[in-house]
Amino acid sequence: MNIRLSDIRRAFQGIVPSGVSTADSHGVPNITFVSQVYLVDDRHVALSCQFFNKTRRNLDENPLAAAEVIDPLTLQAYRLRLKFLRSEKSGPLFDTMSLRIDAIASHTGMTGIFRLIAADVFEVESVDIVEGFLTTPVDAPCEGVSIEGARTEMRGLQLVSERINRAADLESLLASVLESLEEFFNFSHTSILLWDDANRRLTTMSSRGYGKSGIGAEVALGEGLIGTVAREKRLLRLSSLEADLRYGRTIRREATGAASALAEEIPLPGLPDAQSVLAIPLTLGDRLVGVIAAEDRDPMRFSEWHEAYLDIIANQIALGIDRMIEHGDEVGEDAAVAAGAAPTAAERCRAKRRLTYYRHDDAIFVDDEYLIRNIPARILWKLLGESQRTGRTEFSNREMRVDTSLGLPPVKDNLESRLILLRHRLQEKCPDLQLVSTGRGRFALKAEASLELVER
Amino acid sequence: MPRCLDPGLSIIVGAVNEHGQPSTCRAIAIDSSDDLETLKVFLPVATSHETIKNIATTKRLAVVATYPFDNSATQLKGQAIEARLASEEEGVFVRERLEAFIGSLRGFGVPGRIASSLAHWPAFAVTIRVEQIFEQTPGPNAGRRLR
Repeated sequence: MNIRLSDIRRAFQGIVPSGVSTADSHGVPNITFVSQVYLVDDRHVALSCQFFNKTRRNLDENPLAAAEVIDPLTLQAYRLRLKFLRSEKSGPLFDTMSLRIDAIASHTGMTGIFRLIAADVFEVESVDIVEGFLTTPVDAPCEGVSIEGARTEMRGLQLVSERINRAADLESLLASVLESLEEFFNFSHTSILLWDDANRRLTTMSSRGYGKSGIGAEVALGEGLIGTVAREKRLLRLSSLEADLRYGRTIRREATGAASALAEEIPLPGLPDAQSVLAIPLTLGDRLVGVIAAEDRDPMRFSEWHEAYLDIIANQIALGIDRMIEHGDEVGEDAAVAAGAAPTAAERCRAKRRLTYYRHDDAIFVDDEYLIRNIPARILWKLLGESQRTGRTEFSNREMRVDTSLGLPPVKDNLESRLILLRHRLQEKCPDLQLVSTGRGRFALKAEASLELVER
Repeated sequence: MPRCLDPGLSIIVGAVNEHGQPSTCRAIAIDSSDDLETLKVFLPVATSHETIKNIATTKRLAVVATYPFDNSATQLKGQAIEARLASEEEGVFVRERLEAFIGSLRGFGVPGRIASSLAHWPAFAVTIRVEQIFEQTPGPNAGRRLR
């Protein structure tokens, strides 16, 4: 084999669909487009078996196959002669291929219908460039990691580590990580979601590069791309998001008659026209801490190098977050409720605010607009009630922790992240009500408007 | 009948040699003047050596035409009854279909400069007698026989 499969790995990213032909025992050929030929190693590829189709039946009769894959940057085609070896229904290869399909299925409301049945593994007997496929060959842009680039990225890794270690509080830790990713890798659209064991959801705690911060946006475990990454605790890199989603939607459309109750499609968090996604679980051992996600409009934006690199950073972020949560009171938890920007004159014009707590929904609305729910809502309601009853405006983290009515978990209570979330939501929806730091582990409720509290 | 003769389609063909080894090749255009009783497939000479050799040996050919924007696809299978160099007159049709396909590729962000360099001429014109037509759109109905 003159061409190594790893030398043409771009052709295996699934950006251009590949043709795969097989033949039955009577010599009748069959040809199909597949969304991705998965590169296993330099001698093996795999195809996803999602339906028991003709290709699959032919392989049982005749293991020989041929595939044509195309480099998406140069449009150069390569032909592979294949020999079917085995179907894997579990194991690392199956899990990796399944994650991508599960994520797309979840995102398009096709969970359980659009799924991987098996990873069909082939030995590659030969790979040849298709001479004459292009009349004018196109030079591939250099995408290797140059020594200079690697130095920059290693330096970036060092600086990200330093910033994580230096961060005084959770909020600055998350913000500095996303800032560093943009500074050193030009990742312009990023977010970090933290896992909340109490309500079994991921909550967006920090984002960068989006028109709206999206802070407070929630994702359930297993929902969409990020929820799938969190559930499986496995990294996901999609290079052809639009094509994958289109493929998933086609199957959804085709399956509509066969499945009665398909879930509604979940809006993709972040860029509406993202072409590539890299989502990495933040874990400590088996424990899920959160997910860091990056998106881009360039389908080739994220490479294997970024996977490896962000995996290292993800470990450090997870450790840093855990340190903040574990020792929040000791490492400047007060910064979690640092003073926000003062309300503008225009904002102060709205001198009266009605806050309504809906007990059944465990949610607070401000002037009929949703503000926050669950534990942060209970915290705010406690502060508002206490303030109205006694005139008190100063509070401590400790008294939040000992108040069992708030429902904070006894360990890893994420109080700091809940206060960050609460402060951000107030800044966005009710800027004349603020949580302001008054010292280590202490904060004040500061109201610039008269408040009407209603409980229903 | 499916839209397998529309412009802008992505087309691939599969053939097989006498030892059961399949081959694959991109086609530039397909056409039918008799409601898919027969199908004419245009294959670039530059890239279709193996496929033409296999067709000459086993006669069998499978063709899939996919509309890239919604993945709707049809597979046609049959036996070759003629294989020859396409005429200049047919070349006009081939170039029209290539332009339409380049338009589809542009819709996916492939620069026209690159797409325009796809080999297409001279081309072989292979006519097959269509024996079977299948639904090939991804999903539970893929593989359903239409004719």
